[in-house]
Amino acid sequence: MKLNFLSYEIFLIVLLLMIRSNLCGQAANEGVRSISSALSGREFDKALELLRPALQNAPNNPQLWMLQGLAFSGKDDTKSALASYRHALKSSPDYLPALEGAAQIEYEAGNEDAVSLLEQVLKLRPADVTSHAMLAVMAEKKGDCATAVKHFSLSGRMLDSQPEALQGYGVCLLKLKQTEEAIQIFQQLEAARPDDPRCRRGLAAVQLSAGKLDEALATIKPLLDANPDVSTMQLAAAIYEADKDTPNAVKILRDAIVKDPMQAALYVDFAELAMDHQSFQTGVEMINAGLKLQPAAAPLYVARGVLYVQLAEYEKAETDFQQAEKLDPSQGMSAAAEGMLAEEENQNNPDQALATVRDKLARKPGDAFLWYLQAAILSKKSAEPGSAEFERGLNSAQRAVTLQPSLTAARNVLAKYYLDAGKSDLAAKECRMVLEQAPSDQSALYHLVIALRKTNNHAEIPDLLKRLARARQEATRQEGERNRYKLVVAPGG
Amino acid sequence: MTISRRSFVLLSLCASGQHLLGQQPGIASRDIVAQAKPAPSGRPFDAHFTDVAKEAGLHAPVIYGGVESKKYILEANGCGCAFIDYDNDGWMDIFLLSGTRLESDPAEATNRLYKNNRDGTFTDVTKQAGLKAAGWANGVCIGDYNNDGFDDIFCTYFGQNRLYRNNGNSTFTDVTKEVGLWETGPARWGAGCAFVDYNRDGHLDLFVSNYIRFSFEHAPVPGEKSTCNWKGIPVNCGPRGLPAGRHSLYRNNGHGTFTDVTKQAGIDVATESYGMTVVAADFDEDGWPDIFVACDSTPSLLFMNNHDGTFREEGVTRGVALSDDGMEQAGMGVGIGDYNLDGHLDLFKTHFIGDTSGFYRNDGKANFDEVTRAAKIGVETRFTSWGAGMVDLDNDGYPDVLFVTGSVYPEVEKKMPQYPYKTPRVLFRNLGNGTFEELESQGGEGITAVHSSRGCAFGDFDNDGDVDVLIVNMNEPPSLLRNDLKGTQNWLKIKLEGVKSNRSAIGARVIAHYGNKVQAQALVSQSSYYSCNDPRLHFGLGTVNEADIEVHWPSGLHERYQQIHANQLITIREGKGLVANKGWKR
Repeated sequence: MKLNFLSYEIFLIVLLLMIRSNLCGQAANEGVRSISSALSGREFDKALELLRPALQNAPNNPQLWMLQGLAFSGKDDTKSALASYRHALKSSPDYLPALEGAAQIEYEAGNEDAVSLLEQVLKLRPADVTSHAMLAVMAEKKGDCATAVKHFSLSGRMLDSQPEALQGYGVCLLKLKQTEEAIQIFQQLEAARPDDPRCRRGLAAVQLSAGKLDEALATIKPLLDANPDVSTMQLAAAIYEADKDTPNAVKILRDAIVKDPMQAALYVDFAELAMDHQSFQTGVEMINAGLKLQPAAAPLYVARGVLYVQLAEYEKAETDFQQAEKLDPSQGMSAAAEGMLAEEENQNNPDQALATVRDKLARKPGDAFLWYLQAAILSKKSAEPGSAEFERGLNSAQRAVTLQPSLTAARNVLAKYYLDAGKSDLAAKECRMVLEQAPSDQSALYHLVIALRKTNNHAEIPDLLKRLARARQEATRQEGERNRYKLVVAPGG
Repeated sequence: MTISRRSFVLLSLCASGQHLLGQQPGIASRDIVAQAKPAPSGRPFDAHFTDVAKEAGLHAPVIYGGVESKKYILEANGCGCAFIDYDNDGWMDIFLLSGTRLESDPAEATNRLYKNNRDGTFTDVTKQAGLKAAGWANGVCIGDYNNDGFDDIFCTYFGQNRLYRNNGNSTFTDVTKEVGLWETGPARWGAGCAFVDYNRDGHLDLFVSNYIRFSFEHAPVPGEKSTCNWKGIPVNCGPRGLPAGRHSLYRNNGHGTFTDVTKQAGIDVATESYGMTVVAADFDEDGWPDIFVACDSTPSLLFMNNHDGTFREEGVTRGVALSDDGMEQAGMGVGIGDYNLDGHLDLFKTHFIGDTSGFYRNDGKANFDEVTRAAKIGVETRFTSWGAGMVDLDNDGYPDVLFVTGSVYPEVEKKMPQYPYKTPRVLFRNLGNGTFEELESQGGEGITAVHSSRGCAFGDFDNDGDVDVLIVNMNEPPSLLRNDLKGTQNWLKIKLEGVKSNRSAIGARVIAHYGNKVQAQALVSQSSYYSCNDPRLHFGLGTVNEADIEVHWPSGLHERYQQIHANQLITIREGKGLVANKGWKR
């Protein structure tokens, strides 16, 4: 997401007005006036020419450095512009125009340095909506939704013209489980762009996530009634399924497949639906139909492999995972799936499972899931803390979360390692990170309770126990849901 | 942390398929992978178990529900048993609970009291003792509630629980109504029970766990709901999907009656648990008894005693309520003992097929760490497991673990032979280094024999200085596993008599120091599965021939006894010291 909150022209006008007003109070400076005039007329080379002697005469004048930054910016020479702004800030660290200029360049480049500059701007001008908006977008990109939401909420109307930022705001609210606020943001987005089906789908998806299934269906209905595309149909299937209307979910997914039989994701969706209802063979048959049309679709082989594991047909699963790897070595799933398969197949032989995972890791050392698997398998061996095996497991879990910070399963394993090692503070930290992403994760909630108990930090425990109880009830309910409906293939397919 | 087939699905498809918004929450099912079995230690095991029930005269089957299939969960959970010296002759008698059948009460359907003939045989004295009773009995706990010197019997039922007062003349009287334990509302499903002097007034109070709120009118039948299928086969429903029972605490008023103090004691906070076996002991060593309740498919409960007549429930926080990854388990039976010889009472809990049993190490302050895998107990997940004990079976000074198993779905075996109804007993020998080794044929045919077992009680019925096992088998006669222990390992048995404390000394904590070892045991009125062990605490001493004994009496009195010689029973009377044994002859 590349957003431009302040165009160069606006930025220039604002700055020049500030400079002029500033200069008016001083003795007239014809040189600076000429430079400003050149900048206003977009005569950047002329401005730079005028700036050269002026800077020689006053090398510590932050205004002149800032004007040079403006001139370079006008020439799209951001590197020189940034250097000029930085020079200005050296002489005068709180010089607002230079801070803003530098922040703008760093922000556009996606550099983390923008954050400190913007925070400095906010110290000087706390209500600056542009800086809040820029900080919000940067935080959202980093996945720091708490910070993002804080700044988004202070961005005022700045977001109205920034649909991508608005969407980021909504997604962050959703991640923080502030679903009502998220729905409002997506409603705002949808109202701003009523003809964009993506905005409508976004709103429906958020409503689905909030469990407002009737509202989600109502939101998506206009799209469904008007020759829907397959993305709409996919979402509708998810809403129907959440609404316990599995027959309609199946029907619309089948219709989507008929409409676009070349879209592999639809078959994978169907396989997932089949899996949720313990209808593994039905899922296999649908994937087979997809593979007839797309024999080179790696995701279909992965999905079928997973279904074969459920049916304990390990050889077939392995063949599928290998085929997926061959077809698309970059898709990264089949190595992980093969590792899982090794684990599943070698329940009583963790060393064999480990050997397989290590073999995969040798080929894909950057695969976070494989590192997680290695950590999890080693964890099952219950090595003594401090032993080489324990340390290897701990390191594997650490590696997994470094490579993929959002892999909550790996964080849970890491938390358990820390607990076993007596590092309860570190365990608590990992649990909290899991809970930021998955607030109902039972393992994280439980391990956090235990970690807090071990550190004699009891204040938070009662609330965590309530959350854990709710998570358990919800998990039990969902388990019942999964067994509610079984998919079968009608005679003749 | 384990990887299940289910997590395979989620982790794989989350990455490959379309997920609109974030991750799905966790899953409560425990499709767990067994831990790899370590290489055999090669060490001999001196205990050898032979089922002598038939020769001993224990012929009558324990009737419990349908034989070929079970329509309701009521028929499936079975019942417990007890070792009780009801006539104070120094020999353990046997009390066996019984269920019945849905259609009618068969003639054999009754609880049974067997008198020990002191020659390896027993005589059924049920009728003359006044204990003949049919119904859906579940749990039993033994204790001298009226401090008259004779142990009384409390039985839980679906329907009306019953308290039998021992009249001291080899007969019992059902005093349920007169003591105030009669229920007037809808039928409850009493499950586990424990006599416990929670307010330390010297009188045994009574805790009763309840399983589910069940009625034949409203109970779903096999296949009716999603909770009524197992491996795709319609089976009896529950406990999930059925309303949970409420647990009760009754205060002994000291003059032969009880008062329901559930609410004022804070027990009523536990509203969503399927309670099963109850074990009451002083887990945090503060001198006051706490109460642990194993719960099926819900978090187990640990009620900590506040010393003021109330409890606070802290099972999750203290690490005994859930699996080590925070998932609920099907808690059935409970063993209590000190497996690592650190002087603190640890817990062992049995679970459903596809899960390991749970082993919980106590730090002495009732903070527990789950050590199932570290102790190598996680190697076994094949059986639905019930009664359990943490007892020294080979007298080597290290408590071993034995539990009994059996499916709850007799109908499944016909379609899926890999899930038999009758399964063997499971024996783990303590290797003395914090780990256990699973033994099969080394334990004898009493261990490898298959039955669908439920409750079991541990005790020395033949007074030969080792621990034997009484086992309830569904719709079969019980098993009486005689321990034919070889070798010359030493032992010590301790019988306690309360004076200021309750007469049975229930709640006492005894610590034995032998060689360089220290072992804690608790005198409890229920453990295993709905069952009650021999009240004489048995310590294997290995090669050591004397021990120092500490007794923490329920009254708060702390006594020490030095250099007690091995291979004898001693009787300690509170505040008086060693007294003559009653009727003990070897």
